[in-house]
Amino acid sequence: MDAFLFSQYLLSGLVIGVIYSLMALGITFIYSVMKMINWGMGEFYMIGSYAQYALIVSFFGPKQWYLALPLAMAGVFVLGVVIQRFLLRPMFVGGIERRDEYATIVTIALMILFRNLAIVLGGPNQYAPPDYARPTTIGTLPISGNRFVALIATLVLLGLFYLVIKKTWVGRALRGAAQNRVGIQTAGIDVLRLDMLAFGIGVALAAAAGALLAPDFLVYPENGAISTFKGFEIIVIGGLGSVLGSIVGGVLLGVIEALGSVFISAAYKDLYGFVLLIALLVFRPTGLFGERERSV
Amino acid sequence: MNGRGRIALLTTLLIAGLTAPALAQKPVKIGVLTPLSPPGDAAAGQFIARGAKMGAEDVNARGGVLGGRKIELVVEDDAGTPEKGGAGFRKLASQDQAVAVVGQFHSSVMTAVQALAEQFKVPVFSTQASARQITERHLEYTFRTHVIDPDRCQMWTRWVKERGFKRAALITENTDYGVGLVEETKKAFASLYPGGELKTIIFDRQVVDLTPQLLEIKNWKPDILLNGGIGTPTYLIIKQAYDVGLHPSVPMLISYDAPSRPEYWKTLGEKGTWASFIVYYHPTMRLTARGEAFRKKYMAEFKEDPVYGALNAYAQVLLLADALNAAKSDNSEQLVKALLANKFEGWNGTISFTRGEGPYWQQWTPPMLVTQYTKPEMPFAEVKIVYPSELKTGDWMAAPKR
Repeated sequence: MDAFLFSQYLLSGLVIGVIYSLMALGITFIYSVMKMINWGMGEFYMIGSYAQYALIVSFFGPKQWYLALPLAMAGVFVLGVVIQRFLLRPMFVGGIERRDEYATIVTIALMILFRNLAIVLGGPNQYAPPDYARPTTIGTLPISGNRFVALIATLVLLGLFYLVIKKTWVGRALRGAAQNRVGIQTAGIDVLRLDMLAFGIGVALAAAAGALLAPDFLVYPENGAISTFKGFEIIVIGGLGSVLGSIVGGVLLGVIEALGSVFISAAYKDLYGFVLLIALLVFRPTGLFGERERSV
Repeated sequence: MNGRGRIALLTTLLIAGLTAPALAQKPVKIGVLTPLSPPGDAAAGQFIARGAKMGAEDVNARGGVLGGRKIELVVEDDAGTPEKGGAGFRKLASQDQAVAVVGQFHSSVMTAVQALAEQFKVPVFSTQASARQITERHLEYTFRTHVIDPDRCQMWTRWVKERGFKRAALITENTDYGVGLVEETKKAFASLYPGGELKTIIFDRQVVDLTPQLLEIKNWKPDILLNGGIGTPTYLIIKQAYDVGLHPSVPMLISYDAPSRPEYWKTLGEKGTWASFIVYYHPTMRLTARGEAFRKKYMAEFKEDPVYGALNAYAQVLLLADALNAAKSDNSEQLVKALLANKFEGWNGTISFTRGEGPYWQQWTPPMLVTQYTKPEMPFAEVKIVYPSELKTGDWMAAPKR
């Protein structure tokens, strides 16, 4: 194995890892603020991919993918806000004792609903928006133009997310909610409105991943399943609730899968991430950047 | 008999008289168990269901079976997974009382449901599932009117050899079909093309990023890429092979007829050009009267040429109707006897089931052809048959350099 080939596999894993981290970031962000796992995250990825396809084919064309992307994200953001307001909010205001179970049941029900709606509305076949860009190269790696676009857009979105969270009032409020939901209410912040925002942003990030990967990984009712799977792996590897962990975990998973599938066997590609995950659970149960929860 | 007794007798006779024709006219149910949702090849399942429905309509228009009973189709989605296939078959056999089940597409599902077919004594037909073991198990209630993988792999090995491709790479999924393709192609290379080199890669069916595997193949420098995906993975391989610069500079042969469907160009655009693919039906083929009638009706109804899956499912429903009439019963044992004892008009020839050796058990094989797209958005009706040489309508062409 020469360095050239190794660098190709490494870069391939890095690129897909960064893109997957967008999905993981959405999951971990919702968890941080709302303390719930959204099991239907893959379906928001799927809706994002359908929305992007519809917008590109009907209005913008592939060259203006950058106009379709924010619209697809905005649509899913609004959907997320509505779902949070009417289906998840009762978890916090309705005196529900078993919040985790409630959230699990609601989000799994949403997952089944959206998947079947997609089959009813769009049929079971796959679609693909036309290519966003011509194939190109990154260093030694020949890469699809779509994936290059997805990489750049992911980096931009991660940067924007960082700026919003670190530099804006809303971001500070969201960080506060992530640290202490009760404490932040004593500062006069409406945590239920923050929940809506957090859920909307989280699912919009998943939609962005779906929209960006639509030309390469296709649009079909179950296309979100694999990315949800990866997203959960990443947050356990990186540490639940850690933004940095989502990114590092994504990259690590992408690289390990790429190298494992070439050097060991492609038939067990999904297994390599789980081996890493199990090793981490044994030696560092909180993940790479997760912190042990403290309770009084 | 007193008055009350007479009334009771008359009432009984009246009820019997009214219900007897109704019982006689009870429809004969045929199950269609096929993939209609992901991760199965849902497009294939839709065509199969479409063909089966047209078959039932034709039989019913001609007066039905067994002296006037209508054929009623019960369609179930197996989603391309053995567990859903098993559940669907159980429902068809027990709840719906289907006399036979057609429409099987995925080898993994067919392999799972054929055991149930024995248990429930309901004949099951492979419409497009081609794994060797399906008929090699010599099960009484399993029938197939589709190609088998050893034949497919021998055929593509002969084509690879004839074209002078020294190094062939096969990428396929970890299903019964994919694993079977690898085993059979290795055997075929060993026996038919000992000088040829073969590299095989099996990937997990759930995986959507095949870039590392395609880079590995590219760096191996093959002369031909054999695409063993089914459904979505077929398209992922083509797209991603194009993106890493493997296709079309390295020719690609797709293992089945997915490119003949209208969705092919919608999904792939220009990336689909120059792909060669195996088909079992071509619009220039001479069909039987039954096949020709179906083609005309299909084209009138759907404004497109039929695809093989629809044609084969149609023929299976018709041959089942013929077998039911020959058996003079919807009893499954009688039906199996009739299937084995008679010859049936298929879509391009006469179908008969014999209990041959190995996988040639209750098996009828359609022709296999290699065709090629040579321009973007090329209609399937215009593709040339490039192999076998005796049926050739055009020459295979290498793609120009990108």
